[in-house]
Amino acid sequence: MTDQRILSENSHPKPRWYNTIDPITKLLMILDFSLLSFSTHRLLLEAGFISVTFLLLLLSKVSPTTLKALGFSLFLILTMLVIQGLFYSKNQVVLLTILGVNFYKEGIIYAATLGSRVLVIILSTGFFMVTTSISENAKYLEQTGLSYRTIYLLMSVCYILPEMMRNMHKIQMAQKVRGTNPQKTLMQKLKSILPVLIPLVIKTLDQSMERSISLQLRGFNNPKRRALATPYHYRLAPLAHISLTMIAILLIGWQIWSKINLFL
Amino acid sequence: MKMQGLNHANIWRFKLTTATMTLIPAAVGINYVAKALAEGLKLPVWLGSLGTFLASMLAGPVAGAISGFINNVIYGLTLSPISTVYAITSIGIGVAVGVLHAKGWFSSASRVFVSALIIAIVSAVISTPLNVIFWGGQTGIAWGDSLFALLVANHAPVWLASFIDEFVLDILDKVCVAYLAFFIYRQLPQRMVRFFGDDQQ
Repeated sequence: MTDQRILSENSHPKPRWYNTIDPITKLLMILDFSLLSFSTHRLLLEAGFISVTFLLLLLSKVSPTTLKALGFSLFLILTMLVIQGLFYSKNQVVLLTILGVNFYKEGIIYAATLGSRVLVIILSTGFFMVTTSISENAKYLEQTGLSYRTIYLLMSVCYILPEMMRNMHKIQMAQKVRGTNPQKTLMQKLKSILPVLIPLVIKTLDQSMERSISLQLRGFNNPKRRALATPYHYRLAPLAHISLTMIAILLIGWQIWSKINLFL
Repeated sequence: MKMQGLNHANIWRFKLTTATMTLIPAAVGINYVAKALAEGLKLPVWLGSLGTFLASMLAGPVAGAISGFINNVIYGLTLSPISTVYAITSIGIGVAVGVLHAKGWFSSASRVFVSALIIAIVSAVISTPLNVIFWGGQTGIAWGDSLFALLVANHAPVWLASFIDEFVLDILDKVCVAYLAFFIYRQLPQRMVRFFGDDQQ
């Protein structure tokens, strides 16, 4: 959210190379990279996909949000390597022994393959996250013909959240002033959430009602609506969409064909 | 018991009116804030589906399903990419809550517990294949994964171990969220329940 907000606040940023790629092409790239990583079991190929997506990210920018997502996933991949290395059902060949505990080759390879796929998804999505802004996405999606109601649904969350966070801090401060103490047990903690959550939810829903009435009054349902122009000029967008969609269809078709062949 | 937001016969009717258009983003925001609160208090639950529960209870299963779907897509494209695939689970939760609420399974504390059990089963059934495909069966929560490791070490099938890992986490989370949603829904002003509920009729 942070990256998107920062980018949206910067109304006229200097165009970089990644600004010439439209948001839909970037989303299709995530799909294609994910399908490519799922279509192979070779670790060398997976390493190649990780390198390409990592390079894309390095050439654009690395954000704290992407690093946080990577950190969480790397920890989970590490636990996966331990659990599958020890207990994977097809384990046979001992790869290494640490403190008398055997880690098996098959389990480690299986966990490494799954981990690589997750990394490819995170890195390719990270590229989308750091190189597009909320307003750019909204304007481009409307230009491509997506209904503005759907776009409002998708994009308004990004604007509502900061308002909700501010409301939450206000309510928390008010509860602290009234003498709410830090809670220790689980039940105490759950009970302590209620004085914050109830006013927050009611206030949020109340603001939604107001927003709904405002939208009606401002003619949001007007069918004669003109889409706003995006701030960047995108190169070869239709060609990129067709090529990436074709690659995705081919990869899905290949996967389905491989599965059918297993039963034949 | 408070008046239900939707008639039983109309639960699948859905119109993307301005009221639903503003309710759904609010529900996604509630999911996000409830999750942040749970993380801040270091609770062993996520609470990240509270908004989806409330949207389903107020405007029906379709609105709840859309809230859940958008929640995971936005969360996935801004904070945690892998969350996107769990949008399917959120759709399932939204539909289950909407149907159970319309059938009166959120009318008393004892019924809420049964609803929470059903929703936890729905969530675990949908999440288990995703956990197996992406994480080899793990959930990423330490004590759930310890249980998974113990079961796999004792030669339990991966699918069963993964389901149990997911279910024990889901049952605690969904019971807490269901009671929170039940309690909050009862506190909502009648005009609010009518505003979002009547919109779908």
